[in-house]
Amino acid sequence: MPSANIVKKCSPDFLLIDNEVKSINKSDEVLILSSVDAWSSLDWTKKYFDGKPKGGYFIWVKKQIDFPLSTCVNIAGMNIKQDLQNLMVIERGIKAKANVVCSSLKANLFGVHKARGKLILKEGASLEYNHVHKWGSNDNVIPDYEFILGKGSSLDYNYLNMFSPKDLNIKNKIICGEDSSVNLSIAVNGIDSNIKIKEEVLLQGKGSQAISRLKLVGRKNANIVAESSIIATEKSKGHIDCQSLMIDDKSKISSIPLLICENKEAQITHEASIGKVSEEQLNYLRARGLNEKQAIDLIISGFLKA
Amino acid sequence: MKLLEVKNLIVETNGKMILDEVDLKIEKGEVLALLGPNASGKSTFAKSIMGLPEYKIKSGEIYFKGKDIKKLALEKRVKEGMALVFQNPPALPGIKLEKLLDLISDKRGEYEKNHINLLERDVNVNFSGGEKKISELIQVLALNPSLLILDEIDSGLDMRKRGEVVDIIKEKVKEGMSILIITHQGEILEQINPNRVGVMINGKIICESTNYKKVLKIIKENDYAKCKHCKKM
Repeated sequence: MPSANIVKKCSPDFLLIDNEVKSINKSDEVLILSSVDAWSSLDWTKKYFDGKPKGGYFIWVKKQIDFPLSTCVNIAGMNIKQDLQNLMVIERGIKAKANVVCSSLKANLFGVHKARGKLILKEGASLEYNHVHKWGSNDNVIPDYEFILGKGSSLDYNYLNMFSPKDLNIKNKIICGEDSSVNLSIAVNGIDSNIKIKEEVLLQGKGSQAISRLKLVGRKNANIVAESSIIATEKSKGHIDCQSLMIDDKSKISSIPLLICENKEAQITHEASIGKVSEEQLNYLRARGLNEKQAIDLIISGFLKA
Repeated sequence: MKLLEVKNLIVETNGKMILDEVDLKIEKGEVLALLGPNASGKSTFAKSIMGLPEYKIKSGEIYFKGKDIKKLALEKRVKEGMALVFQNPPALPGIKLEKLLDLISDKRGEYEKNHINLLERDVNVNFSGGEKKISELIQVLALNPSLLILDEIDSGLDMRKRGEVVDIIKEKVKEGMSILIITHQGEILEQINPNRVGVMINGKIICESTNYKKVLKIIKENDYAKCKHCKKM
């Protein structure tokens, strides 16, 4: 699970504030452009974009790198609307790590962050993608990502949202090719938010594997609907684990794991639970001098990061 | 000067009476050992005076530093200077010991320097018995309490870890910290030399003595029940 400290230590390879690209780092191994420039200068990228992009990043990892990539997309002004398309391509056999931060720099900016993303992992590529969101309580956030995993590739996708916006609508679609594997981890601290999560893993390649872990916290009138599905059409393995914590009676969590199997050789399973904060843990932390709110915050943070 | 004074304490949990009119005092700088078989009420006593909510005080008084703390919340009792080493502390997945220490105290104890590996791990997750006890001691000593309550600190320890734990306790005794040691084994007392010992059976203190060696001898030779003959020795 990514650390929320990534937000504080952000000195990124790509920095976008509001709708202006502030900086792009250059290296021999990786080509980083704004999506707008990629569209106009690299014809082959057009098939991955959904029409001409208005903003966002293009990252093409062409050679092996020994440093983590980082991007920061921030909202700093009032009533900013971002409509981004992000494209990341990891070439054959390359192992890469990316720390990706999207955030509002202040609490009440009433921003809109719409981000469509496509991540292409070519044959044998491997990517650890740590995605941290930190939003103000009046933002509207709509990330819609598609991951295409080539033969033998592997993806670790870790999404952490400790500060949820007013509306959060997450869509993730992961298309798994032959012998590819994916570990998905999505953790959302829902505070007074309307949250919709729709995650779909397509096990389309023979021997592909997926584990999807969803951790949700509902507090202060949060309304969370999380659908997590695995669809297996080839001999493959998949597991969904949805765990949720309810902090108060004013919140609502709907956790919906879905398994669709179209191949008798496929093994797909799920488990789901919704519970409350453990009294034993709570009292233990109070016995260390933390008040109830501090103890609950710490337990939630541990739950989402574990 | 009395640090803790408990009078006629009756405690219930899940509708069942566990402590039956318990009287106990701990002086400032005193080390008191509370002995007793399993399920005699020793841990209930520790948790009741700490203020854990599942233990309902039906009647009686608890004074700490002369102040009635019966209605004081658990965390406020910690601020007043009480700290408890749990016999079976819960696992806290995702919470590093170092993070917890940062939250509970500005002042970091010296013991954690020898256990850097523990600091980087999630509290009590896959800890051995000895690691749990060390983690507990690191936490409570970071709180710098006036009264340290050790609930079965000697259980589940190998010789080396027991030696380490005993050394830490002895150092705190030397510094004048008041300590309540709860144990059903008693061996640790030979290394700590408590000022007084009490024996609890069926939720009652049946024996109090300043001669812990005599009490231990009676217990070893006979049984806890025989201690009633040495009441107020």
